[in-house]
Amino acid sequence: MTEIKLREVKTLKYLRPTIERGYANQTLHVDLSTSEISIKPLEEKVKEIFVGGRGFCLWFLWNAVKGSTKWNDPENAICISSGPLGGTPIYPGSGKSIVTSISPTTGSVMDSNVGGYFGPYLKFSGFDALELRGKATGDVIILIDGISQKVQLFQAPELPDMAHEISHILTQHFAQGKPRNVSVVSTGPGAKHTLMGCLNFSWYDTGRGRARYKQAGRGGIGSVFSDKGIKALVSCWDKVTVKTNNPANEEELKKVAKMHSREIVELDPRQNDMARVGTTHLVEIMNDHDCLPVKNFRYGQDPRAPNLGQEVFRRIFDKGFDGCWIGCTVACSHGVKDFVPVTGPYKGKRVFVDGPEYETIAGCGSNLGIFDPYTVTEMNFYCDTYGLDTISVGTSMAFVMECFETGLINEKHTGGLDLSFGNRAGALELLHQMAAGRGFGRVVGRGVRQMKKIFAEEYGADPDAIQDIGMEAKGLEFSEYMTKESLAQQGGYGLTLKGPQHDEAWLIFLDMVHNYMPTFEQKAEALYWFPMFRTWFGLCGLCKLPWNDIVPEDNKDTKEPAKVIKHVKWYAEFFGAVTGRSVEPGDLITMSEAVYDFQRIFNLKMGFGTSEHDNIPYRAMGPVTVDEYESRRERYDKQLVEVYGVEINGKSTGEKLRLLRKIREQMYEKLKEAVYKRRGWNENGIPTLETVKRLRIDFPEVLEVLKAHGVEK
Amino acid sequence: MIKVGKKIIPWREGMSVADLLNDLKDPYAYPVVKVNGKLVSRIDFEKTLIPDNSEVYLIPMVAGG
Ligand code: SF4
Repeated sequence: MTEIKLREVKTLKYLRPTIERGYANQTLHVDLSTSEISIKPLEEKVKEIFVGGRGFCLWFLWNAVKGSTKWNDPENAICISSGPLGGTPIYPGSGKSIVTSISPTTGSVMDSNVGGYFGPYLKFSGFDALELRGKATGDVIILIDGISQKVQLFQAPELPDMAHEISHILTQHFAQGKPRNVSVVSTGPGAKHTLMGCLNFSWYDTGRGRARYKQAGRGGIGSVFSDKGIKALVSCWDKVTVKTNNPANEEELKKVAKMHSREIVELDPRQNDMARVGTTHLVEIMNDHDCLPVKNFRYGQDPRAPNLGQEVFRRIFDKGFDGCWIGCTVACSHGVKDFVPVTGPYKGKRVFVDGPEYETIAGCGSNLGIFDPYTVTEMNFYCDTYGLDTISVGTSMAFVMECFETGLINEKHTGGLDLSFGNRAGALELLHQMAAGRGFGRVVGRGVRQMKKIFAEEYGADPDAIQDIGMEAKGLEFSEYMTKESLAQQGGYGLTLKGPQHDEAWLIFLDMVHNYMPTFEQKAEALYWFPMFRTWFGLCGLCKLPWNDIVPEDNKDTKEPAKVIKHVKWYAEFFGAVTGRSVEPGDLITMSEAVYDFQRIFNLKMGFGTSEHDNIPYRAMGPVTVDEYESRRERYDKQLVEVYGVEINGKSTGEKLRLLRKIREQMYEKLKEAVYKRRGWNENGIPTLETVKRLRIDFPEVLEVLKAHGVEK
Repeated sequence: MIKVGKKIIPWREGMSVADLLNDLKDPYAYPVVKVNGKLVSRIDFEKTLIPDNSEVYLIPMVAGG
């Protein structure tokens, strides 16, 4: 056992319930201000309507906060839950968790999904969800030990700050010879000094004998965690078998799990080869389709992109099994062994890096004009161990670099740092500053929305120019896809609940390549069902990747290839086999819709959730500058003439730019209208009374929020 | 000869990925295919020539990310 100083503050012994059909039927609540630990039974109605995972987390958060609650108020909660199917070891991708909180950058409700063992171990220890409220004095850790049946709160004043060290030390400390029994949630110093802190959820890699981790990155929940004084959460559980989740029909479960698992083993090597290259295959594919963000989403392509592509990372990644949950045959969570950083506190030391994935490569690579895989790997390592979201870091830095190159800010503001695109040393130095809360890093760590304000009000930058190129919506930085040529994906980013993150809707290929949705109504239809499927994975404790990243070979010949209906049927069977609730594929959408619309109304409760908050910067819709227009002139000219019937002869690029902008902005507004209608929302983007009744979320407190916004009988 | 999944297709000089899809009469809009393990994106279908004795895999990709 590794010696660390822990001072016990509170211990609650409990009798662990038997898991019944995927549920523990009780939840755990910790108030850090009072050190109170309590266990509450799970109400049947909550189970029925909110299902689990994201649904439970939203419900507990809704009850914890008021409309006026700010991210750093003690009543803000962090909720974590896996879901009824979470913890199934034989079905690919069945170990995910969802975390929710009021976000420091959006001011509204945030959800972030993550792998690692914590969520399943929490449930097997006897809790479907964990709610953390209040603020601790000093650094604390919370242990949820399902083996010894106790929950403990400790003061932990001497733990290191870096996440990879915390994960390692706490895993060793609580392992009792079985490190695989431990999962740690932690963040790092970057979470304390910025608003874009992430959470690292560990899983134990038996093959390599080390704790690895995955990130709940989006929306700064790591910063809330740090503000609450939590150094780490630890969950302990013993062996996991198919029986641990006590499914209603084990035989059926085994049957369907085997089918999906086998299909992945057979098809993945032929298709994306994710078991060897993770999501890095997307880099070149996105580049070829003009969708890889380059230099703050200005362009979608760069000839140097292959330097960051799958063949490079195939060589760099350490070979071995990389499933972030037991038995996931996609096993895409790769890492780099014996990496030696050239900067920062670990300069010259050998470290293990978890990643990089596509998002990190695009965000901390191409979008910064950096095409060196080792710099990206170093950024990845430091973001994780500092507890920073690689996407928000990348998109924020890209914005800063464009402002720097175009003279909107200068070295006076950056403290002498040269932040030109492609400056690797500058990007790494800025990252270290962000983590330490030093220099210009303090400003960048506040995220794009706050930087826009600071640059305009304090540095005198042109607010309109900044608004166009600052890639955030609702206060969340864009994830890493270029959307200029896909109106559906513009909606996939803008018409989301939490902000522009592709986990809700990824429609680029369906729209641009397959042309499945030429009309507004068809786009609206896709923006209705796609987010619902994705929401469903978050309710159940599942990873979205096995649904549609590896697809059956005959999928293209089915009636609706976009839905990968063979898999959806398997998921419905999986749900029935675990919970005993018999469902049809279509029911998955209804289950999700209740939670989805509830989250929309939650936004409303927090002062957002209306049409004006669904706007996106123009850079996401089309070319902002003459340079951008000129770089794809043929495409834009052709569209103006052939699609929109505009006479362009004799017009300057600037004039054409303005004409195109007007058209594209109108199209986005039209899309909004169509989507609201399809979702059963009014013209201001608020769910109607009829919709909330149909979805059975017409609780008095929901009706009250609607009434306050003019939605009543 | 070119192997496309389980099918064997006759090869001809100068045959591109686009030609192959044409010969197969497969109208599906493949974003990418694999030629001898290497990904080829749609934009390059016309200019990518397939060598004789190649193995081609048509990736029925719908999404990603
Ligand atoms: S597909 Fe990848 S991210 Fe998803 S559960 Fe499996 S290993 Fe984890």
